[in-house]
Amino acid sequence: MDIAEYIRLVFSDYTLRTITLGTAILGAVTGMLGSFAVLRKQSLLGDAISHAALPGIAIAFLITGAKDSNILLLGALVSGLIGTFWIRGIISKTHLKSDTALGLILSLFFGFGMLLLTFIQKQPNANQAGLDKYLFGQAATLVESDVWMMTIVTGACLLVLLLFWKEFKILLFDADYTKTLGFNTKFIDILITTFIVLAIVLGLQTVGVVLMSAMLLAPAAAARQWTNSLGMMVFLAAIFGALSGVFGTAISATQNNLSTGPVIVIIAGIFVLFSFIFSPSRGLLFKQIRFIKNRRDLQLHKTLAFMFRIAETHENISHPHAIIILNNFQGFTKGTLQQLVRKNYVKLDGNMWSLTEEGFKTATNLYNQQNSNDE
Amino acid sequence: MMSNAQFEIQLIASLVAIACAIPGTFLVLRKMAMISDAISHSILPGIVIGFFITQDLNSPLLILLAALTGILTVVLVEYIQKTGLVKEDTAIGLVFPILFSIGVILIAKNANDVHLDVDAVLLGELAFAPFDRLIISGVDVGPKSLWVIGSILIVTIGLLIAFFKELKISTFDAGLAASLGFSPAIIHYGLMTISSITTVGAFDAVGAILVVALMIAPAATAYLLTNDLKRMLLYAIGFGVFSAISGYWLAHGLDASIAGSITTMLGLVFLLVYLFAPNKGVIAVLYREKQQRTEVSLLTFLLHLKNHSEESERHVNHLNEHINWQKVRSKTVLDLALKNNMIQFDKNIVSLTEKGQLFTTQAIDYIITNEDGKIEHMKDDFFLFRG
Repeated sequence: MDIAEYIRLVFSDYTLRTITLGTAILGAVTGMLGSFAVLRKQSLLGDAISHAALPGIAIAFLITGAKDSNILLLGALVSGLIGTFWIRGIISKTHLKSDTALGLILSLFFGFGMLLLTFIQKQPNANQAGLDKYLFGQAATLVESDVWMMTIVTGACLLVLLLFWKEFKILLFDADYTKTLGFNTKFIDILITTFIVLAIVLGLQTVGVVLMSAMLLAPAAAARQWTNSLGMMVFLAAIFGALSGVFGTAISATQNNLSTGPVIVIIAGIFVLFSFIFSPSRGLLFKQIRFIKNRRDLQLHKTLAFMFRIAETHENISHPHAIIILNNFQGFTKGTLQQLVRKNYVKLDGNMWSLTEEGFKTATNLYNQQNSNDE
Repeated sequence: MMSNAQFEIQLIASLVAIACAIPGTFLVLRKMAMISDAISHSILPGIVIGFFITQDLNSPLLILLAALTGILTVVLVEYIQKTGLVKEDTAIGLVFPILFSIGVILIAKNANDVHLDVDAVLLGELAFAPFDRLIISGVDVGPKSLWVIGSILIVTIGLLIAFFKELKISTFDAGLAASLGFSPAIIHYGLMTISSITTVGAFDAVGAILVVALMIAPAATAYLLTNDLKRMLLYAIGFGVFSAISGYWLAHGLDASIAGSITTMLGLVFLLVYLFAPNKGVIAVLYREKQQRTEVSLLTFLLHLKNHSEESERHVNHLNEHINWQKVRSKTVLDLALKNNMIQFDKNIVSLTEKGQLFTTQAIDYIITNEDGKIEHMKDDFFLFRG
């Protein structure tokens, strides 16, 4: 299938359109809220919450017996919130550290959820088929009402973000200062945490419990590399998330036997990898290039300093010397010598070199600079 | 009467619990609990590739390959963290879902050749473990997973005894360990290797999530009860084995997943200890915080009396409005002060006694100097009215 045909299909085919829209909106909202999770150093909270939501789904099913995804998600939301606040309780009231608290709640809630799910499966009259889609996610089961639900939550989330933008931002970077300004930090904190839980719960149906944390983190981690501004980061993360959703859906739809969740996560991972390497200010590639350039500069200075020490001993600084005597010195190559010539610090004449006036001056300053740095 | 298979299931579960509790204790103490979660997910591609090669879920080669993937996870997380581009927790949260996704896709793309279920890897099924027997030259010597987890446990215990001192020092003071000549890096990667191997060895019996639960929950529960490393290890093993056996019977009663039931038992044990642990439990902490609040209130009240000689400031009714306390609280504080002979009443006018005068003078010293030496002997005075 070529790309043009696929794009036509996205607009004409109901299922494909629903899934594409759904994953794109999901990617956008998790990307937005994920930025806050990443900056608040709560990256693994998403993992814990998504696992903690499982018993809620099972209990909601046990109580209502309905498979209506909104009711199940409500159960997930409640249980996710209980998990989140228990994690906070453990961290603030005992000496157990946050990693232990996260791991505890994650595994204990998930295990309890599994107990309930297997219990439901053994019930004679229960039509439980479809509950385990929440484990690994099945984007194919998305229907239009799910997409509407996501759109509404995303809208609400955007509205709250815009309304409380200043408060969120200041709480993020200086919680103590926020408190002294008289903001109700507890309220803001609970508000943002609730929205993070909400976004995670929304994603369970599409990408599943296990992979949800990557949906939250990857777009935000990628966006972080390109900007230092919170607004820009949230915006970029939303774009990256949405693109991961669209591309992921496209790839899994055109291949056999590929579930959407893992593909979306891998696409998001590729965004992260690309950003890690190619971001201009923080990326590894440019960092390495700057590193090599600095090393070259240092070597150049070393060569110049060495020449200066030889030239110093002569009355005429431009007295020519044989290139050979530089051989003892490691920093010397034909390239660096040429570069010195290009900078007009050194003159070459056959096998001989001599310092120029300018080169001598620079070298003197170099020396002084080093001295003054030492002091 | 217990059948042979039932006994074997409980034996395997208990061995897994012990094998997990030992590295788990150190992971919790080293604040690396979430690494075990990451490892348990990211070994999936290792298991899949190993399965392509060996076609046997219990083959040593598969365990080795999967353990290597586990170590790869740790190395990747540390590499990403070292670049400074993201924080450690973000690095963990990025690495394992991506590796897990690769594993899921590998399975999906080779669905015809691989009889491997992602559910089975994540959740495990202990009930089937006794049916996969190890047969050596025609003799049935027991379930395969019993032998796998048994060998891992023996190696773990051997290493624990051999390197206990090194592990202890490097866990609590990495700097001291390094200066004594133990390489913290070797201990770190050794622990990571053991954790990976244990996770892999246990996953097909109990599943990846239960491995995480068995590593973290017993150790965290034990940590709430003791600060002694040896005792913590013993308690953790005890909680693990107890949950394993009681969890089995819970599953038996409910006809539900054994792994899920064991985790639920672990959760219940943790909840009980979390609430009722003598010094570090939530109830003990809340009670202590309440006492401290009362003590601070009492001190504020006494200092207020010392500062004001005028009668209007010392009238009982004034206290409610001025210090902004509720009636109940004022009464508690007044009673406490009376009981300790700090104050006396004279027609609803409160004043300090001799003892109260002396005490407040000391308290002001305490607040002003704020030196540890001066505080030491004061502490007894402060906590006088606790008993």
